[in-house]
Amino acid sequence: MINLEERLSEKKSFFNRLIIVYIFFAGLFLYFLYKTFLLQISSYTDYEIASLENKTREVLVQPRRGIIYDRYGNILVNNVPSFNLIINPSSIENINDHLNQINQIIDLTEDEENYAKENFSRLAQLNRELVLKKNLSIDERSKFKVRKYKFPNTFIDERYSRENLYPFLFSHSLGYTGNPEESDLEEIFLNQNLKPKEIIFSYSNGYLIGKTGLEYTYDEYIRGRFGKKIFEVDASGKFLNELEVVDEVHGKDLFTSLDLESQKVAYEQLNRRRGAVVAVDINTGAIVTYLSSPSFSVNKIANGMTQKEFNFLINDDDKPFFDRAAQGRYSPASTIKPAIALFGIENNIIDWEFTLDDPGYFILPEDGRIYRGWKKGGHGNINLNDAIIESSNTFFFSLAYKSEIEDLTKHLSNFGFGEIVCLDCFLPDSGLLPNPSWKMNNLNFGWFKGDTVNLGVGQGYMSATPIQLAYYASFLANKGELNKFSFVQNIGNKEIKKNIFLNNNIDESDWLKLHESMIGVIENPKGTAGRLRALKDYTIAAKSGTVELVSTEKKEDYKIIREIEGQRDHAIIIAFGPMPNPKYAVSVVIENGESGGSVAGPVAIEVLNALLKR
Amino acid sequence: MKNLLNLRDKTIYFDKYLFISISLLSIMGLVFLYSASQANTVVVFKQSIFVLFGLLLMFFLSQPDPDFYKSNSLIFFAISIVLIVLTLLIGKEANGAKRWLDFGFFTLQSSEIIKITLPVFLAAYLYDKKLPISLLNTFITLIVILIIVNLVRIQPDLGTSLVILMSGIYILFLAGLSWKFIGFSSIAFILSLPFIWNNFLEPFQQQRTLTLLDPSADPYGTGWNITQSKIAIGSGGLQGKGYQMGSQAHLDFLPETETDFIFSVIAEEFGFIGVCLLLAVFIFILLRCLYLALNARDRFCRLTIGGLSLIFLSTVLINLSMVVGIIPVVGMPLPFVSKGGSSLLSFYIAFGIIISMASHKKLMQK
Repeated sequence: MINLEERLSEKKSFFNRLIIVYIFFAGLFLYFLYKTFLLQISSYTDYEIASLENKTREVLVQPRRGIIYDRYGNILVNNVPSFNLIINPSSIENINDHLNQINQIIDLTEDEENYAKENFSRLAQLNRELVLKKNLSIDERSKFKVRKYKFPNTFIDERYSRENLYPFLFSHSLGYTGNPEESDLEEIFLNQNLKPKEIIFSYSNGYLIGKTGLEYTYDEYIRGRFGKKIFEVDASGKFLNELEVVDEVHGKDLFTSLDLESQKVAYEQLNRRRGAVVAVDINTGAIVTYLSSPSFSVNKIANGMTQKEFNFLINDDDKPFFDRAAQGRYSPASTIKPAIALFGIENNIIDWEFTLDDPGYFILPEDGRIYRGWKKGGHGNINLNDAIIESSNTFFFSLAYKSEIEDLTKHLSNFGFGEIVCLDCFLPDSGLLPNPSWKMNNLNFGWFKGDTVNLGVGQGYMSATPIQLAYYASFLANKGELNKFSFVQNIGNKEIKKNIFLNNNIDESDWLKLHESMIGVIENPKGTAGRLRALKDYTIAAKSGTVELVSTEKKEDYKIIREIEGQRDHAIIIAFGPMPNPKYAVSVVIENGESGGSVAGPVAIEVLNALLKR
Repeated sequence: MKNLLNLRDKTIYFDKYLFISISLLSIMGLVFLYSASQANTVVVFKQSIFVLFGLLLMFFLSQPDPDFYKSNSLIFFAISIVLIVLTLLIGKEANGAKRWLDFGFFTLQSSEIIKITLPVFLAAYLYDKKLPISLLNTFITLIVILIIVNLVRIQPDLGTSLVILMSGIYILFLAGLSWKFIGFSSIAFILSLPFIWNNFLEPFQQQRTLTLLDPSADPYGTGWNITQSKIAIGSGGLQGKGYQMGSQAHLDFLPETETDFIFSVIAEEFGFIGVCLLLAVFIFILLRCLYLALNARDRFCRLTIGGLSLIFLSTVLINLSMVVGIIPVVGMPLPFVSKGGSSLLSFYIAFGIIISMASHKKLMQK
């Protein structure tokens, strides 16, 4: 037993010890409270988001891509639903075995099998789906359905494929679509405030973006916006119920100024020859016909072609992928003459009464070099009107000779040469408008007077694309004012400043006289394109040209070189009509077509016929 | 036994503060459990029975005089040990652990009983020992404690064995364990930590401890529980998501919502305000216990009230620290709130004894 004193000291000791323990635990309690405060108050937002992300899953809903129409409301590009046989490459080990098994149920063509084998490993790496076969019939679908359990990584799903109704007609103008790259998707998702997570990527299978042409230029307009469905999920990932739906916004339809009928005519007329046709509405700058030939099937490209098919197109000497209309560089040749004529009048070098004796050649005074015309013996004593109708080289050699090169190039740039003339074309080329500094920088040679003389007939260094030639023709037709070209007029800022050709020296009567001369190219018995007269029942102004690829001294020499097709002259024509109030302008280039008037000319007339028939 | 006669004298031994606050906590627990069990009425009904039975048990256990507990503590302790040994021999096995004795209508977790009888036994053993406690008595006490702790640990049940260890140590400490001994043994404990880590902790326990240090390193493995618990608590914010509106609890992201992690459910649905209110009740009970311990009639009562209330306090703190990720996940319920049979009843028993100790005045003082 313990005595009273001890009992008191025991009580005090107990007191102290219990208080110590309580204080210790009070500290822990406070620490716990502090931790809870941190969780619930300071980091509330983070945990709130974490809890939301925990319980929700986003599923993307793809928008429908806009339909593309021609100017009369004909559908050019549509979305076609099809039931596709799709595999998930990343979970399939041996593609050959898998294809063999599939083949026992659904017949795959050799092309389809090759396509699958070629793209298998790439898509497996990206964890994307691979479409084995499109457009399954009801028969095939039901056949697969009953054996579905055998193929856990294969499924049938409805997908929209992009279908150009005229796949060869609009290859270069409308372009094609394809699967987006990872970086494209990321950008699209960010634009639409979607978090680019891998989960979301998997819902974008089958999504298409424009790769070339208008499909590319107006991609943002016609692609629409993804919708999404937000589901509540439990810890096992099971979808419980739909919490929120954000509707997808379908892409807007694209109404182009293209004209289906004239395009068909242009395609038939060119008949897979190498060349280009561009026709425009001169009042608006709207492109109505746009053909680069030969062309290729955009549907094949967009919906998957085998490497063999692709290689065949790539290695084709006619280069079908090359957009000759916007990127092909051709010398304008004699078609440049009306622009040179205007320069002469503008600078008082000549007037409509001025005459010149054309012996069939021009001698450069500086070094005695001879520049020949196309007609042996020349055109005799001619004025400007005759020089255009008969396409006298001597007249324009002489005129160019009297010109300052800097002034002349500045003048020509007004007609669109050396400039980008189209607002929504896919990768247009600006051609080449040469000047002394260009020559020094690029060829390391000074500018010769002879270079200016050559420019007078559109030969030499100068080159222009067919669309620039069409712009030039429209500019002439519209008497110096013109909108920049476009395929689509009602989207974006197409309030284009009018390119007003201001000069006191050129007035209405000069324009009219120039038009008369160009009408004479067809209507005058001496005109270089007289053969076109019979092809139409209205009046057309035109100027033909023949691009010499190999310079020759004599006609006999040309007969030898033309044995090789690639050395034959290019045929060019620009035309506009109907006169006197022109509506359309057209340019036609046919590579190695030899005669602008008789080879390119009929194509231009047929296209104008088609356009004016409406 | 003569103290039971007090009932005939119509003297009712009672502490209204503890009785009311524990009843309140129990009812709050039922409300929380309804939500945590996804509105499972069967679970809540069963729990209600336990709560009712527990409150009655608490009332009856507070009637005998403390001397009854003092003189019979060895018997109670011996029975508890028998139950523990029986558990090891013929216990019901679940999830690789043998912790329960099946009585048909009730499965008893025997370690929950010894958690109460051990400190009472030790208090009865130490109440008349001189200060400071002699080395011999210290060792006798420690050996008894360690034997019991190990009997529970091999079930295995680390959480409860730790609580039992603590309950013994509390009594020893409060009874006047010499500071010299405390100093030496603390150093020895720290030095032996690596040994304990390697020899006493199961691999899953080691993993839990490591996970605590960086739960995000393994969010879907062993860190899953802590991560989801933190998300639940954190997303509750100030006001909570509302009763039965906790997505973490109701969409199964939270584990063990009815037992170990019920606090996370409360925090998610009632927010920081709810957490503070709940803690206020716990703190009230603990401060009342502190008051009663300091004013107890003799050393035995002091030690018992102090020891039992510290077990309660430790259990609460271990549970709370676990769910916010301060300590590793050890199976430990939140007293009076979590679903449970044995552990719930053990605390009613503990508080019955506490009230008995606090409400009986010494006869000779009259």
